Amino acid sequence: MLTVAPPDAIEMRANATFEALMWALSRPGDIRELPEAGLAAIAETLVDLECTVFSDDPALRAQIAATGALQADDISEADHVFLSSLEGAEARLVALRCGSALYPDDGATLVAQVRHGVGQRVRLSGPGVDGFLELSLGVSSGFWAMRAMLCAYPEGFDMLLVDGRSAIGIPRSTLVEVL
Amino acid sequence: MSLSSLTKPWSATSYGFLDASAKRELRRKMLKAIAVPGCQMPYASREVPMARGWGTGGLQVTLTLVNPTSVVKVIDQGADDGVNAASIRRFISRVSGAGETWDTLAASIVQSRHRVPEEVMREDQILVLQVPNPEPLRGVEPNISIARQMHADADYGKLWLTLYEQIVRKGRIMQGAGYPSMVNGRHVMTPSPIPRWDVPKLNMAKHLTFLSAGREKRLFAVPPFTRVEPLVFSDRPYQVEHHADLTCRRSGVSGYFMNELPVDGGGSAFEVSDSNLGIKAIQQAEGAPVEIGKTWYRNGEFSA
Repeated sequence: MLTVAPPDAIEMRANATFEALMWALSRPGDIRELPEAGLAAIAETLVDLECTVFSDDPALRAQIAATGALQADDISEADHVFLSSLEGAEARLVALRCGSALYPDDGATLVAQVRHGVGQRVRLSGPGVDGFLELSLGVSSGFWAMRAMLCAYPEGFDMLLVDGRSAIGIPRSTLVEVL
Repeated sequence: MSLSSLTKPWSATSYGFLDASAKRELRRKMLKAIAVPGCQMPYASREVPMARGWGTGGLQVTLTLVNPTSVVKVIDQGADDGVNAASIRRFISRVSGAGETWDTLAASIVQSRHRVPEEVMREDQILVLQVPNPEPLRGVEPNISIARQMHADADYGKLWLTLYEQIVRKGRIMQGAGYPSMVNGRHVMTPSPIPRWDVPKLNMAKHLTFLSAGREKRLFAVPPFTRVEPLVFSDRPYQVEHHADLTCRRSGVSGYFMNELPVDGGGSAFEVSDSNLGIKAIQQAEGAPVEIGKTWYRNGEFSA
């Protein structure tokens, strides 16, 4: 008879983190609770030696290096981008990978620490949103303009915005209107 | 960095059967599938102890999602007690410690072959459909590279032509299962071989749907509140199977999708395809305190 090994702490954390991220992207704008604050658990959940990762946080870089992932010095090479802040990042993020109409899955995943509930008010609509939804995010209108320029659906990048233990997902399919 | 820091302590099995790197790959692809609804995302499709084509794609998605608090329902053509469904459900439960159920209302993950349950799925539920052939263009374009280019160009003219030819030849659209459907107004997907009856259940649904083809190594998703529109001509409305007036011979329920059973001397008898709905109806008629949830079809009419 097969006996099930109970999941270890890493497995439980990765499973719960993925569930939060999955529902966050499925319902753009909804706040989902992560089991652990910060970006480290998200990197642990998604990233391994098949990925090319850009990170601006030295501690996170060391953690990602241990997974065997390739560290990118240039954002344009990375399929996962971890940023500790989006402030003034527009100029760098213009180089984000957006995939192609042939291979939309080549678009990058941007994971960034962003304050929820303060800053620029936006209205979201599209798949996952029943009608529309308004919320405030610490993301500048310049960034949203840059995103609108890059995300020519189905090309684009997908955002996971983390504030402490809260995560908000904004996939490329979401229409973001700056209010 | 030492060798020991790169490895984990030995254990006989990985939790949930799949190893950690397989799960991470599936997670990355599942997030991309949600971000581009209806677009087929390639993935590696690991070996599982089941033959390709028997639900390995759905199984890998379920094994990635499952945790000890999950409750899993597995259906095969609507039935919970088919060999394939029972084996998959028992396997998932054994390798993960998740609960098993037959009841759509009690499940957190519903893995299904060829049917969507009749009871409306909630916003916290996940439907995992097993897909034999994920490519809606396969019938009109055997070259997968050209089919990919056609998806990139949203060039679906040949699918419309197929439907038109069916109308010209037979007077109506003959496509039964896996009816090609436009997702989010951009990508046409095959919703796995669910009957036409079930396609409207995916449109602007509350639940999240994953569709995964293990043999073909592709998965795609329909997030909640996403448009799923069957391809139809404006003067030929979409028609579901004419099952609205049929009554189940065992449970007496009517207005749901039925299995047709040939009877001696010709003719047919009908049994409700969502077998647990029939079981619950029988138990309720016998006075047991069973809850039947709100259904998508009421009196044979779809009303979301």
